[in-house]
Amino acid sequence: MSAEPIVVDLLLIGAGPVGLYGAYYAGFRGLCVGVLDSLPQVGGQISALYPQKDIYDIAGLPRIKGQDLVDNLVAQAAPFAPRYILGSEAEILRRDGDELVVTTADGTSVRSGAVVITAGVGSASPRPLPCGEEFLGRGLHYFVPDLSTFDGKDVVVVGGGDSAVDWALAAVARARSVTLVHRRQQFRAHEHSVARLHESVCDLVLDAEVGKLFADDAEQISAVEVCRKGVDTPKRVDAQVVVAALGFKLNLGPIASWGLTLSKRAIVVDPAMCTNIPGVFAAGDITTHAGKVKLIAVGFGEVATAVNNAAVTINPDLGLSPGHSSDAPPPGSDQFAVSTAATI
Amino acid sequence: MAFVIGEPCVDVKDKTCIEECPVDCIYEGERMLYIHPDECIDCAACEPVCPMDAIKPAQKVTDDWQPFQQAARQVFEEIGTPGGSFNVDDALTDPEFVQEFEK
Repeated sequence: MSAEPIVVDLLLIGAGPVGLYGAYYAGFRGLCVGVLDSLPQVGGQISALYPQKDIYDIAGLPRIKGQDLVDNLVAQAAPFAPRYILGSEAEILRRDGDELVVTTADGTSVRSGAVVITAGVGSASPRPLPCGEEFLGRGLHYFVPDLSTFDGKDVVVVGGGDSAVDWALAAVARARSVTLVHRRQQFRAHEHSVARLHESVCDLVLDAEVGKLFADDAEQISAVEVCRKGVDTPKRVDAQVVVAALGFKLNLGPIASWGLTLSKRAIVVDPAMCTNIPGVFAAGDITTHAGKVKLIAVGFGEVATAVNNAAVTINPDLGLSPGHSSDAPPPGSDQFAVSTAATI
Repeated sequence: MAFVIGEPCVDVKDKTCIEECPVDCIYEGERMLYIHPDECIDCAACEPVCPMDAIKPAQKVTDDWQPFQQAARQVFEEIGTPGGSFNVDDALTDPEFVQEFEK
């Protein structure tokens, strides 16, 4: 929670590939830039959904792994020291005189001259455990940033993907007992991790779902009731820590309530990438306009348009065009690896 | 462009795809599941997990899949873009093609 507002010239909401490229351009225009994301990491859909996948349609890069593209974008913006504000979902957007103020769910406030919304498909929230949401903070977790949470406890992990398997494996080394509960027989995780799971002391309860959570006198989780397919009597498992790793839901979230003109849950923009709210621009998958195609390549073009137009909004003395980047190589760019066809 | 669920889903509705979809764009109908053509983000997470091999990308839709692609547009005509099957309580009404489909 931050009491002092963060003040920047331009704020990008969404730190996926398009937001990151926007940060580079804002820096190149001499603007002080902030980049906000609801996730604790940058990289947007790429890093969250397909970091290891090869991408073939990025201009100038015949083939590049998702996460490598993200890392390159971070490096490209780095000389301009963007301020990354991660793990905070933007909740409110309002105008205060010359400035726009964005407030996040955890109370952080960012003031800027202009905002570019590069939020892709929205913010990610963990898929809830159907029977147990009220136990969040009382033994139920979606993430376990501090692994000592597992120490000496009876742990139940729910889910069948990479996250669930990874949490179970992390817990095995430290917990008193670990049980993994999954709806199917088959896992959706890397074969190698699943093999390690089978070899570990983790108790696997498959074709099963968590039906109920029980609390002790202090209202903390004390046990979990598991219902197995084809078995009448539910199984009761002692647990003080339950990790629900059921995947994410991506949702437009609070952005849908900011008074932006939307069409089919996308933000309508004009050729300058401006929304119906003065000073608020948008770029990337979250936008819609005549002929819109949702590609990273298109998003890159849109965010360059948005940032350069936003620059004029922030400082009318600035020209719309940034000039040639080769006339002003960023500080430290002589250290950048030179890309040649031979290195691809 | 979106992905399209076809014939192998009809009267099966395994729903593993629904668990996998990060944007919750797979909705339940009466006889089959439907991927929302405007909400799908083409992440392809659903395609490999379907035990019936019922999911194809729109670019690879064959003649036999084509009517299912149309059905996936029709089924959302009334409700538009709800932004996730979590926001829809009841099963969607199958378009006529799916209602009358004989496996």
